[in-house]
Amino acid sequence: MQSRILTQVLAVTLVAATLTLGSGCSIFQKKNKNAPGSGAGGSLPPTTGGIDLGSGDSTSGGRFALGSGTEQRGLFAPVYFDYDSAQIKNQLERAKVVAVADALKGNSKKLLIEGHCDERGTAEYNRALGERRAQNTRAELVRLGIDGNRISTISFGKDKPVDLGHGDTAWSRNRRCEFVLIN
Amino acid sequence: MKCRCFMMFVAVLGMTIGSATAQVVVRKPLQKKSVAVNGISGNQTLTEVLRNDVRLSGYLGLATGTSAEFVQEGNVRPDGMIECRVTHAFSKKVILAKAYPTSSDLRRLGHSISDDIVLAITGQRGIAQTKIAFVLKKGGASELCVMDYDGFNVRQITNDRRISAHPEWSPDGAKIAYTGYLNGYPDVVEINLQSRQRRLVAGFRGLNSGATYSPDGTRFALTLSKDGNPELYVLNVDGSGLRRLTNTKGAESSPSWTADGQQITYVSDDRGNPQLYSISRDGGEAVRLTIPPGAPSYNTEPAWSRPPASSDMASMLALTSRVAGKFVVGIFDHSRREVRPLTLDGQDSEDPSWSPNGRLLVFSKTQNWRSRLYLLDVITGEQLDLPAVDGNATEPAWGP
Repeated sequence: MQSRILTQVLAVTLVAATLTLGSGCSIFQKKNKNAPGSGAGGSLPPTTGGIDLGSGDSTSGGRFALGSGTEQRGLFAPVYFDYDSAQIKNQLERAKVVAVADALKGNSKKLLIEGHCDERGTAEYNRALGERRAQNTRAELVRLGIDGNRISTISFGKDKPVDLGHGDTAWSRNRRCEFVLIN
Repeated sequence: MKCRCFMMFVAVLGMTIGSATAQVVVRKPLQKKSVAVNGISGNQTLTEVLRNDVRLSGYLGLATGTSAEFVQEGNVRPDGMIECRVTHAFSKKVILAKAYPTSSDLRRLGHSISDDIVLAITGQRGIAQTKIAFVLKKGGASELCVMDYDGFNVRQITNDRRISAHPEWSPDGAKIAYTGYLNGYPDVVEINLQSRQRRLVAGFRGLNSGATYSPDGTRFALTLSKDGNPELYVLNVDGSGLRRLTNTKGAESSPSWTADGQQITYVSDDRGNPQLYSISRDGGEAVRLTIPPGAPSYNTEPAWSRPPASSDMASMLALTSRVAGKFVVGIFDHSRREVRPLTLDGQDSEDPSWSPNGRLLVFSKTQNWRSRLYLLDVITGEQLDLPAVDGNATEPAWGP
C-alpha cells in the first residue's frame, strides 16, 4: 500500500516537475527571482495596438471594433444603481436613458454601454452584475425605439471605479452605466 | 454524487451532530504532526525552504526539542549529495533516508525534499512543488502572474496593460484560461504556458467570463450573455458543443465542477441576493444549495476541492459569504445546509481556491484596501501568510 502511494506520488512529482513553470520557459520575465516582496515589480510597459488572438472564427459578431478614435465619452450622464441591483431605480435615472435614446434618433451612430459595480462583493459576481446593468439599460433603449443591433455592452465589474475612495459616496458613484457614442 | 460527498464529509470531519454551531472535530489522522526540522546542515537556503514548507504544509507543524513527534536531519555529503533523514522521535524508527543530487535551483530541490517528508510522515501528497496563478492589480492595469505556492518566484505572464481576471488552470497544468479585455471586451482566453500562444475560447457579444475546466479537461463551464442576461454554458475545449444550461432573469456566474465532473455549482441572483445552485453538466433542473437563514444572505464563489483518491480528505465546497457586512471564506456543510465560516477575523476575504491535495485554500484578504494572498488550513482554520507583492494580489488559482 505504502509503495503504491509512493509510486503514485513519484509519478505526480515527475509530472509536476516536467510541467514546472520555472527556468527555461520563455514566457516569464526572469526578473526578481527568489525575491518575494519585489514580486512582479517594475512598471508594466504599455502594449502597442490591439492583440491578435488569431481566432479565425466569427464569434465576435455584434461587437464594434474599439479604439478606432471615433468614440465620444462624457456626452451623457451616467445612470446610477442601488447596491446589488441592476434595475433602473427611478424616473431621474430613466430620464438619462431617454436623453441617450433621443440622441440616437435620426442618425445611425452606435452606442457602447459600460456596466460597473462598486468595490464590495466578489469579482465574478460583480462582472455578471455589471453586465446585467448594461443589458437592462440596453433593453430600456430598445423599448424607447432604438435598434438593439446598434448597442454593445461591456461589463467591467469592480475593475474600473470612477471614484477611488472607499465609502457610501464613492460606492454610489461607482455603481453605474456609462455611455460611449461611436460615430 | 451529492450523497457520497456528504457521507465522506461527515465521515472525515466527524461533524458533531446536535451542537449549536457547525463545530468540526478533527480526527486524529488529520491532526498536525509535529516535526523538529533541523534542515540541511551547511545549507541555509535548503534549511529555510524545508522549515517554511513544513509551516505551510497543513499536515505538519514546526516543533522544537523533545516535544516533536518526528525529527528531521540532513547534511551535505563530501560528494555533494544532499542527505535527508526523518526519524520517529519515540521509536527511533527511520521513516525517510534519501540522498538527492544537488541542484542549481535549491528552492525547487528543497520543495521536492519537503514533499518526501510529508509523504513519509502522513502518506499524503504534499503541495510544496505546486504553483499558484493570480491577478496582480497595479496602476489601473491587472496582469496574470504565476508563483511558487510559497509566494516565491513571482513571474508575470501577461503584459497587456488591460484587465485580466479569473485565471483557472487546465487539469494538466499546461494552460490557463482567464478573462482578458485584450480587444476591449471581456473574452475568455486560453494561454499555453509553454508556447505562450494565446487562443480565443469565447468572444461572443456581451460578457464572456468565469471559464473553468472540467476535471477531465475536455470542457469549459462559463458565463456568457450572448443571448441576453448572463447565463451558464458548457463548451468543449475545441470550441464545439456550446450548450446553455440555465434560463433565468438573473445572472449566473462562477461555475465550479464537482470532483466527478457530473455537476456544476454556480452563483445565481435570480431570486435577489446571490446564492449557490447546482445543476447537471447536461442541464435540467437546478438545485439551490444556500438558503437563508441557515446560510448567510449572500453566497458566491463556489469552489469544489478535488483531492486525489489516495487522500484522507473528502471533496469539499468552499465559498465566499457575506457575514455581518464582511466577506468571509468558508465551507458549505451539506448535511446542515450551513456555512462554516473560516476567516472571521474582521477583514474581507474572498477568492478561495483549493490546493490539489484538498487540505488548504489560497485566498485573497483585503486589509486597509490592500489585497494580499494567504493560505488557509481548512482543518485547523489557521491562516498562513505569504510574502507580499507590490500591488494588489487577487483571484488566486492553485495549480494542479
